[in-house]
Amino acid sequence: MMFRPIFFNVEVCNGCNTCVDLCPVDVLAPNLEKGKPPIVAYPDECSYDGSCWIHCPLSDKGAIKVVTPLPMRVAILRGNR
Amino acid sequence: MNSDSEVIPIETDVLVIGGGLAGCMAGIKASEYGVKVTIAEKANTLTSGCAGTGIDHTWAYIPPIHEKMGWCIEDLMEDHIQGIAHGFINKELLYLVASENYERVLDLEKFGVNFRFDDSKVPGKFRIVPQFHSVPSSFNFDGRPIKVKLTKEAERRGVNIINRVMITDLLSTDGHVSGALGVGTRDGKFYSFKSKAVVLCTGRVNRLSRIVSGVWGNHRLPVYETGDGRTMALRAGVPIINTEFFSPALFMIGNYEISFGVPRAEVQPAGSITGPNGEIIVPRTYFYDWENLGKEKWTSEVRRKWMAQRRADRPPYPEMYKQGKGPFYLDLTGGTEEEIKYAEWSVSNEGDGFRFLDYLKNQEKFDFRKDKIELLPNSREMAGTAASGLAVNKDLETELKGLFAAGDEVGGLPWQASSGAFTMGWHAGEMAAKQTREQKGFLPVGEEKLASLRELCADMLSSKEGLHWGEVELAVQNIVDYYAGDVRAEEMLKRGIERLDDIKGNISFRAENTHELVRCLEVRSVIDNAVMVMRTSLERKESREVPFKFYRADFPEQDDENWLSFLALKLEEGAFKFSKIPIK
Amino acid sequence: MFRPVVFNEEVCNGCNTCVDICPMDILAPNPEKGKPPIVMYPEECWYGGGCWARCPLRDEGAIQIITPLPMRVSILRGDR
Repeated sequence: MMFRPIFFNVEVCNGCNTCVDLCPVDVLAPNLEKGKPPIVAYPDECSYDGSCWIHCPLSDKGAIKVVTPLPMRVAILRGNR
Repeated sequence: MNSDSEVIPIETDVLVIGGGLAGCMAGIKASEYGVKVTIAEKANTLTSGCAGTGIDHTWAYIPPIHEKMGWCIEDLMEDHIQGIAHGFINKELLYLVASENYERVLDLEKFGVNFRFDDSKVPGKFRIVPQFHSVPSSFNFDGRPIKVKLTKEAERRGVNIINRVMITDLLSTDGHVSGALGVGTRDGKFYSFKSKAVVLCTGRVNRLSRIVSGVWGNHRLPVYETGDGRTMALRAGVPIINTEFFSPALFMIGNYEISFGVPRAEVQPAGSITGPNGEIIVPRTYFYDWENLGKEKWTSEVRRKWMAQRRADRPPYPEMYKQGKGPFYLDLTGGTEEEIKYAEWSVSNEGDGFRFLDYLKNQEKFDFRKDKIELLPNSREMAGTAASGLAVNKDLETELKGLFAAGDEVGGLPWQASSGAFTMGWHAGEMAAKQTREQKGFLPVGEEKLASLRELCADMLSSKEGLHWGEVELAVQNIVDYYAGDVRAEEMLKRGIERLDDIKGNISFRAENTHELVRCLEVRSVIDNAVMVMRTSLERKESREVPFKFYRADFPEQDDENWLSFLALKLEEGAFKFSKIPIK
Repeated sequence: MFRPVVFNEEVCNGCNTCVDICPMDILAPNPEKGKPPIVMYPEECWYGGGCWARCPLRDEGAIQIITPLPMRVSILRGDR
């Protein structure tokens, strides 16, 4: 398991599990402890569509973050070159 | 889940398999006929399919706009037939799509999807941009919430949506579809459907080829679309067409695989392609000048000549790469502020686009006004949306009575994308519902397929020596990439088929839990689809550069006399049979 | 996803020779003395076979290396 695609902020996330319900690749699982953020059960199967983050009711408060792994990042030619 | 797992029996008049754009439209329309409608979805219809996180474009013939400007629907058809499909298309189905999608746009508006903008100069306040055709046919719209809107509309109409069920088998009795079987992706139960009609809407097949970046989920298309419908239909004896068209890799934005901005393709105005020293490789596009638009000025023929000239001005990217002409950049730095804002708005509505923009701006601190983004070879994919898929008649029914298909599940319609999903979904839903009203009861279904499925799943879950699904998938991708590569030949294809058959016959899967079981079943679909790619490639004894870049080293010439046809593959008593469907 | 190294618990005596010599350092001793090692990083196996070659109970079948499917050779059988 090499990537960490999803980060939850435990202070903001309230464990509503909306992200778990919607994930199209089903990589999230509810935390056994109620009110705590979900577990990323299959981090290497994330499809980076962002459904979890888009539909998170607390996404504006930073409850969840999706991080693009390095091999997937774009190649940018900066304008100040 | 174990060998005693519960079976949930469900009876429904119309069963829609797959809850993407096409499936939701099918379910919504079918609900108007007073019949019981169920959508079975592998993930969750709120976020599933190619438009799971949005879509920003669709195309149609728009009578209130186009008639006034002098364009008729035949002009749009001709654009698509010649300019996009190079003649390789089912014209009857194209007419359905081109003529009905404007009506579907109006329906989508009723469902809460916004197409109108106060600052628009276009009649009707639509946002219409140059994209596929000479006729100005392409809408940009607020498509990000489309799956939420469609799900809500379906639920409002009483459609029964069952999420987290992967359908694995079609059931048929006396030449008529009678239901389907599936596996609960979380509850591990078996789902046994009895239905009078089935609409298959499972989209395309992905994961046939190695993911270029090495990040498994990083593909332009959803990785959970694994051609489940095609393999089910194949095993039910239904012909599948055009499966040989598994094309060479496209140069698009990479290594994050997403499509936007590329001139003439996934267009936003201002996007040009430039080389290492800012030299223009493909010039940018512009918003339409609506005051000066009309058929006399910009005919299909004029546009086709213009497109051909631009293609002649530069070789394909792989060729330029070999000449050392790269790197290649998508460049919006010449755009006005209005154009950049527009580009960001439309990308934020495109599938995966909202999250991609968040990454681009917050993680990469990218600025469209100053920075350029490189085009790189993407992972290979089955060509042209609904180019390959099930053979259907004008009512979208297959040879198996009561089995309909819609969207990317259907074959013979290159690059109809969302237009095809909306129109075909609607039409198939209507046809299926009408047909079920004529049926009195449910056909009986036998127990053998359920027993087989139960045994297969139990074997996978109890296996000690079996292989992880990822291991099998990698091996299959290695085989597909080598033997069904950019250039194919008889002995190579035969060898590829042999190696795939060897995996099918000798390898068993091992699943630790229901999640892994579903992945194993997906890889099984991928293998069946890989076999279809190879077998049909072997059968097509010609090369055809456009539209799908199909090359046979042993038959390097195009042969329209013998091969201007769709090639249909069918399983008959365990043997593959081929037939040609001439293109009229 | 791969299971490159498989131990036979009835034969292996937990001597941990394989752990000591693995150049990729993917094995770890079992917390329980006398039990086979744990394969900590199966994806990092390089199939060198040192663990198997130097296992004192190799002939008795204590350890087995399994080549993953995507790595297997493509064979044309002589009886075709």
